[in-house]
Amino acid sequence: MTGPARATAWVAHLRAGGTTPWAEWTGTVDGPTPPILPGAQQLELLRRINQRAAVPQPLVERVLTASAAGRGRPDLELVGARPASEFGPPPVDPGALPAEELLRVAALLLAEDLAAEGDPDARPDDLGRLVGDATRRMKRSGRGPWLRPWRTKYRLVGDPWRADALRRDLVARGRPPGGRGALVLVVADDLASMLADIWTDRCFSTGLAVPPWAAWLDTLAGPRRIPRGADTALVAATWSARVGRDRVRIVLDETALPGLLGVPTLTPRSPVSAEAAELARLVAKALDLRVTPDVGRRILRERLLPRLLEHSGAPLAVPPEHHRWIHRRSVRMRDAVRAGDYPVVGEVDGLVSRPRALAASGETLSGEATDERVLALAVDLLLAPTGAQDRTGPQEAGT
Amino acid sequence: MSARVLLHVGTPKTGTSHLQDVLFRNRDRLRHHGLLYPADRFDAHFLAALDLMALPWGGLQAEAIGRWDALAEQVRRHSGTAIISHEILATASRSQVGRAMQSLAPDDGTEVHLVLSVRDLVRQIPAEWQENVKHRSTITYEEFLAQLRDPERKGRIATWFWGVQEIPDILDRWGHELPPEHIHLVTVPPPGGAPDLLWKRFSSVFGLDGLDLDLEAERANPSLGVPETALVRRINKAVNPVLDPPDYRPLVRELLAHQTLSRRTRTPRLALPPDLHEWARDLGQRWNDEVRRRGYDVVGDLADLEPGPPPEHWADPDSPRESQVSGAAVEAIRALLVENARMRAEEERLRGELHEARVALDRSFLRPSYRVREKALRGIRRTAVGRGLHRVYRLARGRSSRSA
Repeated sequence: MTGPARATAWVAHLRAGGTTPWAEWTGTVDGPTPPILPGAQQLELLRRINQRAAVPQPLVERVLTASAAGRGRPDLELVGARPASEFGPPPVDPGALPAEELLRVAALLLAEDLAAEGDPDARPDDLGRLVGDATRRMKRSGRGPWLRPWRTKYRLVGDPWRADALRRDLVARGRPPGGRGALVLVVADDLASMLADIWTDRCFSTGLAVPPWAAWLDTLAGPRRIPRGADTALVAATWSARVGRDRVRIVLDETALPGLLGVPTLTPRSPVSAEAAELARLVAKALDLRVTPDVGRRILRERLLPRLLEHSGAPLAVPPEHHRWIHRRSVRMRDAVRAGDYPVVGEVDGLVSRPRALAASGETLSGEATDERVLALAVDLLLAPTGAQDRTGPQEAGT
Repeated sequence: MSARVLLHVGTPKTGTSHLQDVLFRNRDRLRHHGLLYPADRFDAHFLAALDLMALPWGGLQAEAIGRWDALAEQVRRHSGTAIISHEILATASRSQVGRAMQSLAPDDGTEVHLVLSVRDLVRQIPAEWQENVKHRSTITYEEFLAQLRDPERKGRIATWFWGVQEIPDILDRWGHELPPEHIHLVTVPPPGGAPDLLWKRFSSVFGLDGLDLDLEAERANPSLGVPETALVRRINKAVNPVLDPPDYRPLVRELLAHQTLSRRTRTPRLALPPDLHEWARDLGQRWNDEVRRRGYDVVGDLADLEPGPPPEHWADPDSPRESQVSGAAVEAIRALLVENARMRAEEERLRGELHEARVALDRSFLRPSYRVREKALRGIRRTAVGRGLHRVYRLARGRSSRSA
């Protein structure tokens, strides 16, 4: 009966901050052993976190009692911990588990932390909220609460990730979008960059089933239509029909945006690394089970995104098998914009994804090494002081 | 605190939809007899299970948030017997089981009984493949069977299948803290038995004998034949990229599969390939032996779990007879056209209603001062201060006052 005693001792070792892998562990305990041990995924995740830093006790307990979110392998037994059973999934060496399995647990814990912090937009209702809103806006804009009637009225469409960042920046300056006669700015870039932006935008949203980057690109390959936000010609045509061509600008030169929007400068959103976007996708999937889609989107963009922006890493890159069709499609899109004779700010050739640029270095998010880096990032976030680790159990993560 | 909780955790394709339908429709009558079936909608326990197990389910998970805790609270507040039933609970992990048990019976003397309805593996395997196909899967039967037989069980298909079907493992996870006499196995009778025998078994284990219940089935999960399942798989391949889950469920799963194709009962039935019978029979036998050894309460007969002989003529759903598939396809087109005609009529009716509403609105807006007041209000509400003043004005006029 050394198996259960050895496993019990290893669990105690990990609880105390130990980092010895199960395969190398030889210690045992005397006395009775618990009938149920945490799963191999949870134990290995705790060992990885221990390798990084000292783990607060509440987090230790949360890791050991968590279950992975979504469909996938169940909590697995440690190989050699118990007499072999002919029922249930085969036991495993936790050190041999792919990082993807550990990430399922880590993502759920991060989602619970974020959900426990609550909706960033939850404020006192009624008059208190109105007064608070007005005060905040006045402070940000440095002037009174009334909007200048002669301000530049705008709408930002096109690449949703960039448009969202610009809109947030402008709203924070007291310059909300809309208004009669607003200029419609179609934010655009080369097709590959816009596809990366759209996938990133969806990773930071809940309520959507977002496939991994490569699988998502697979769904776009072939004759299917590219997502609307990346189809600059289609967006320009739609808005031209709605408001008239003279009020639409396709913007391919970012430096021209402050002038078009009537502000001295704009603060662009820092680029999100590929690993950070992938982690956001996994966390969003787990967060989707905890909060409603609108709250989830705010939590991901206002709480998770700033933390992920602190992480530097390679940007998202297109896998080689997709280079050809993206290049061809981008050329078609440029030709359609030219044929439509829409006003373009910048060079219309900027819509084309050149094969050489596509082949430049970047992260295609494929392979076990990538999962390991995403896991390392998840571990860093779990250890980051957010205040949520004082919580004692996953049951407190409800909305 | 509940005196007793009857927790029915599976397995799928064992008459669970009919049982849950009867319990839901008779919940008020059950209440009079001290039995609580806490559900505000038919799929309340399904949503609670999704919440407990953190399972995404084609967008339904947003409706599931907080459902388990709410269900458990109702159970704790009830003083008699409470029933919880959903088959996907079978796949819960040990920690999820721990959370469920703690929330239902938090060390207060509540007696928990576990109920597991079971059917022989030879019938369960094709039934599970069909369920996968009815949930958008495009996997072939051959691939499905290969994944099930992978000893590592790494794939999603195998993980799910064994999670909800491997009887000894389910009982290990759910029943490790319960005495064997509190664990009840309801066996599904073999084909050809009395049609109400399964209900009688459910009725006895849930303490429903002698109650006057409406047993008319409104909801069921009917089976499809070989060409029909093959057709749905082909439809999945075509529509998965363009049809979102909220549309797939009513159109493909309900309208086509359940309401249309399931009525074609003369086509070959899905079955396990003859060469896999021995493997499934041996596995089922080992489960039976283990269940017998553990001494659970068996409602029915463990002999029900011994499969019949392989079919003399086996139809391969990966290579169906094309004439049968096209027959099913014509039926499907007919159903879609009829539904489309119904929706067109509905659209026309709504269009008429909308027109009438617009005319009525225009009449009420004809007063000359209306446009001036409306414009002024729009201007005021453009700013936070203006909106605040408008709110104060409305509060002062009273809650029932309408916008000018």
